[in-house]
Order: sequence, then structure tokens, then C-alpha cells
Amino acid sequence: MDTTQLLKGVLDLAVLAVVDDEDGYGYDVLRRLRAGGLTEVGDASVYGTLRRLYAAGALTSYVVPSDEGPHRKYYGITPAGRDQLARQTKDWHTFSDTVTDLLQGAAS
Amino acid sequence: MSDHTSTTVRPEVEAFVAEVRSRLADLSADEREELLGGLEADLSEQIADGATDLGDPWLYAAELRAAAGLPESRRPRVRLALPRLRMPSRTEVLEVLDDARREWATLVDRHEAGRQAWTVAVALRPAWWVLRAWVLVTALDVAAGPWEAVSMVPTLGHPLVGPALLLAAVVASTLIGLGRLWPASGPDRLVNARLALLAMNVAAVVGLLAFAPIDEPGYLSWQPRNVDSVSYVEEVGPRDGLRVDGVRVTNLFVYDAEGRPVQGAQVFRPNGQPLTIDADQAWTGRGDERTVGCAWTSGTTPLFNVYPQPQRRQRRGACADVTPEQGVVTAAIPPFAQVPPVSSPLPLDPTAPTPEPETDQPDPDPAKVGGAASERPKTRQE
Repeated sequence: MDTTQLLKGVLDLAVLAVVDDEDGYGYDVLRRLRAGGLTEVGDASVYGTLRRLYAAGALTSYVVPSDEGPHRKYYGITPAGRDQLARQTKDWHTFSDTVTDLLQGAAS
Repeated sequence: MSDHTSTTVRPEVEAFVAEVRSRLADLSADEREELLGGLEADLSEQIADGATDLGDPWLYAAELRAAAGLPESRRPRVRLALPRLRMPSRTEVLEVLDDARREWATLVDRHEAGRQAWTVAVALRPAWWVLRAWVLVTALDVAAGPWEAVSMVPTLGHPLVGPALLLAAVVASTLIGLGRLWPASGPDRLVNARLALLAMNVAAVVGLLAFAPIDEPGYLSWQPRNVDSVSYVEEVGPRDGLRVDGVRVTNLFVYDAEGRPVQGAQVFRPNGQPLTIDADQAWTGRGDERTVGCAWTSGTTPLFNVYPQPQRRQRRGACADVTPEQGVVTAAIPPFAQVPPVSSPLPLDPTAPTPEPETDQPDPDPAKVGGAASERPKTRQE
């Protein structure tokens, strides 16, 4: 099933959830999303979403220096981000319940 | 906090990110940095983890931009077509050239006829090398110095220079075709070389098309015009009309043996043909200064071999044409009122009657403007 359209709706939510769990840099977040089952998610979408959430104040960022290789920009969640996460989680549950009911009603 | 992996950035990642960066050029430096800051490292790690294809940088940039909530690129995304709003990068130009080559190859390959035609064309490549060298040297020939007919071997003034230069050009063109001399043929060259080669071939084709009409009689020539010495390009036919050294003669003034001007001298060539300056040749000057020669008449028939032809000011057309600004017909001004008397080389008395004309010549018909002259005038030509 093509989950692209579904993903677009919940990517913010998924990214916030991952970062809330543990701070991470771009590819790290992507890896965890994919490991969690969202195998179709595109890296550009994730990186862009991270930036958007950061610009919106839901995430904070900091650079971790490294002796070898490039520095990494890590993202962490902010209180505002946590609020948004809680709110959108609730919305998601409501939404998914509604859709499930609808489908069950149609199926029967 | 997870350990960060130290990764080195690979060249294809660098190139990819550079392309993405170029597609984000319309953003502010800050926005760009936020989007691209960790990208090289992230992509390198993705590859290290087994990702095979980075994909299309343009699409990547668009997705990045969209996910980040930034407006779409303000520049039109024209993928392969030639007009762009900025200088194309090396890779873009190479892609265009490579794609064009591939398209051409698939097109040719599609039909059996196409394949055969292409093998013939490929076999004829050496002929093209020679031809483009010839076009180049002939173009130099035409551009430099007085005009002459486009011939097999360009002359370029000195007799030896032309062939020597042609030989050198053929050798150079062949070496380029073989790949030994810059810009060198073949698909694996650098961008500048390929563009230079393309430009050279296009110029040769254009030159060839430009020269094609020149081999016909109606060619271009530069001729100095009469008194004005104004040189301009004129399309002429096969040199009609009375000319001396290529210069058109517009009138004749006849003086007799005593040096007095003769009015109404009717001039013929030995074969009985009249020596005419026709209406379309009998004009001088331009614009307000232009005058045309008017013909003497026999009855109502105009005769164009009778001199001197009187003049009339007329901006355009011939004397016989009716124009709004018709001037008055005036006598032509002779170059000399009187010239020195002359003596005939004939041992006999010059005033004795001339020999009878050949009897098999028909009597001249005024319509054809022929006639026997009682005296042989000494004509003075311009």
C-alpha cells in the first residue's frame, strides 16, 4: 500500500516522538523511524521536517564537535514541542479511531 | 545521546550536496545552512549503511524544501531544455550533451534504414573533416580582401598562401576528428572541449549554407561606383551593359578628327550590333543628384546607341518612365569643349570615302538600331 500520503500527515508527529525519546541528528532520526516500521519515509522529508519543527520552536538544536569526521547537529525537543506532541498524539488517536469505525461500518 | 559515527565525506556525496545547494540558491544563507548543515555527513552515513542510490538532487532539493515548509524554487525548473535563468553548471551541460547523444543514438537505432544511414555517415566522417577545413579557409578568403568567385582552392591573395593554408586546415581538422588535437572528438571529453567542437561544426555547416548561392551567376560583388567612389554591394547579372574594366559606362562623347564634339553619333560594333547603353544602365548618381540618359529617336523608336545621350534629373526609373518629378531634358555636359585634332594612321587621305561595308550585312533596321556610318568617328571612351 502506498503510504506516502498517510506519512505526510503524521510525519511531524512521528519525528517529534522519536526526538522526544532521545535526541538525535538527522540520519539518526531517519534510522529510528525506519527501524520503527516506517520504511518508506524519504530522507529529504525527514531532514526538512526536522528543520521546520526547529523553525517552529518545537525542537532545539546543538552541534556536537568531533575530532574525526564532520560535526553533527543534534536535535532535542522543547517544552513547546512536547505540548505539540501530546496534542497531536491525541488528535491522531481520535482520527484513527474515527477512520477505523468508518471502515468497519462500511465493511459490515 | 547516541554516539555519533565519524564518517568521511565521499566525493559523490559532495557533488550531490553541491547540486542540492545550487537548487536552494534562492534561499537565504541561514535557511540553506539549516537544511544542508548535516546533509553531507548524513548522506555519507546512509551510504555507509548500504544505501545505493542518492537519487536526483533536484527532486531531493524540492522534497527538502517542501518538508521544511519553504516556498518552492522561484526559478522555473526547466530540466533539460536549453534556456535557463542562470549559467548552467558543468555537470548540467555535460548531462545535456550526453542525453542529446543518447537520444540521437536511440533515434537512429530505431529503424534499419536509420542504422544503415548512420553507418554510411560515420564512414564519411573524414570527408566532413576535409569539408569543414575548406569552409574555414574559404570563409577567411571571402572575408579578407577583394571578392572573387568561390572556387575549389581559396587563393587569399598570394598564390601559394591559399593552398598551404588549406592543407594545414585539413590536417588540423583531421587530427581533431581523430582525437589527437584539442578539442578532439568523442564523448568523453571535458565540457569546454565538447562545446568548442560543437560550435566549430555548427559554424562550418552555417558557412557551407552561406556559400551555396555564391556559385551561381548572380553573385555578390563589391564595385566602386562611378564618380562618387561610394562602394556598396550590388547584385549584378552576368555583367550586362557597356563596361570598361568592370566599371559601367553611362554615356559616350564623340569628337571628330578636328576635335569638335559630334552630336548624334550612332555607334556600332563590327558585327553590326549597336553599341548601346540601355535605359537601365544609363543613370548616374543617387537621390536628388541622380540623372538618367535619354535616347535619341528614329521616328518614335528610341535608339540607345546614339551619343551623347541627353540627361534628365530623375530620382528613379529611366528617361522613358513617366515620373511625378519630371525634370527637363538637357544636353549632356561633355568632358571637353574641344579636343586636339588627330591624324589617321591610314596612309591615304582620311577624308576619302570609307570602304564599302560588307555586302552580306543587311541594311540596319532602326528598330534593331543598326546603320552604316559615313564617317568612322574616333570615339573616346570613359
